[in-house]
Amino acid sequence: MPSSDRELLERSARGDRAAFGEFVERHSANVFRYLRWLASDPNDAEDLLQQTFVAAWGAAGEARVDTGARNWLLAIARRNASKLLARRGATREREQSLEELGELAGFGDAEHTPEQMARAAEERSLVEQALAALAPQEREILVLRELEGLDGATTAELLGLSLAAQKSRLHRARLSLAAELRQRLRAEVDR
Amino acid sequence: MKAERNIAGLSCSQVLASLTEYLDGELAPDARAALEAHVSACEHCARFGGVFAAAVRGLRERLGAATLATDVGARLKTQLDARLARADGTS
Repeated sequence: MPSSDRELLERSARGDRAAFGEFVERHSANVFRYLRWLASDPNDAEDLLQQTFVAAWGAAGEARVDTGARNWLLAIARRNASKLLARRGATREREQSLEELGELAGFGDAEHTPEQMARAAEERSLVEQALAALAPQEREILVLRELEGLDGATTAELLGLSLAAQKSRLHRARLSLAAELRQRLRAEVDR
Repeated sequence: MKAERNIAGLSCSQVLASLTEYLDGELAPDARAALEAHVSACEHCARFGGVFAAAVRGLRERLGAATLATDVGARLKTQLDARLARADGTS
């Protein structure tokens, strides 16, 4: 039976590098995906990935990870990434109203059907382009909720938001994603 | 913007605002029933509900699996080994 995150971190805190290597192996793909979408630049994401695990090694003795360490790691990663994003002034959210966002996503467009959207969303490259086009805060909440599968309460805590604000950000991010996919779908049709 | 309709006590804008909660199963039973009654009688909202759900589903299905490229994993291991060895004073 594989060791739990807690066991691996307890052994890491005692200096067991093999245990920490197993811990890194277990979580690095998820942490990197989060950082990759948050930081935009893959080199920044790699630097942040290293910083995250160096910090985790240093804090292994204090970690409270009864239900798994992924959220703890994501919180460390976010603290590092937030500094970088703040330096770049890259944390602005869209200013459109919900109705405007809805219109961009096809609300009220009789020509835009679920089948068309499903076809667009089958293409990985289109989905990646759409996600990349979103504001960092939109990308972040979609990665946490849709890809990492975090629940609303955990996401709200990680982002320092109320549950209602978290829900509102998620809704706007989903609409923005639909709008970006629609835009790419129309561009393909026009070609 | 399409013409607003009011069906089952809900306007189309209210349906638009509630789609995430509906998709996530977070609407109270009466609010869920009202939304479903609106959508079953409103072609526009039914269509857009499908569009919205397809976009979210596509994201989950296309990008759901996290994988680390071999070269990224190798660089992480090398850099971590070096940095932790320096921190331990073992190199």
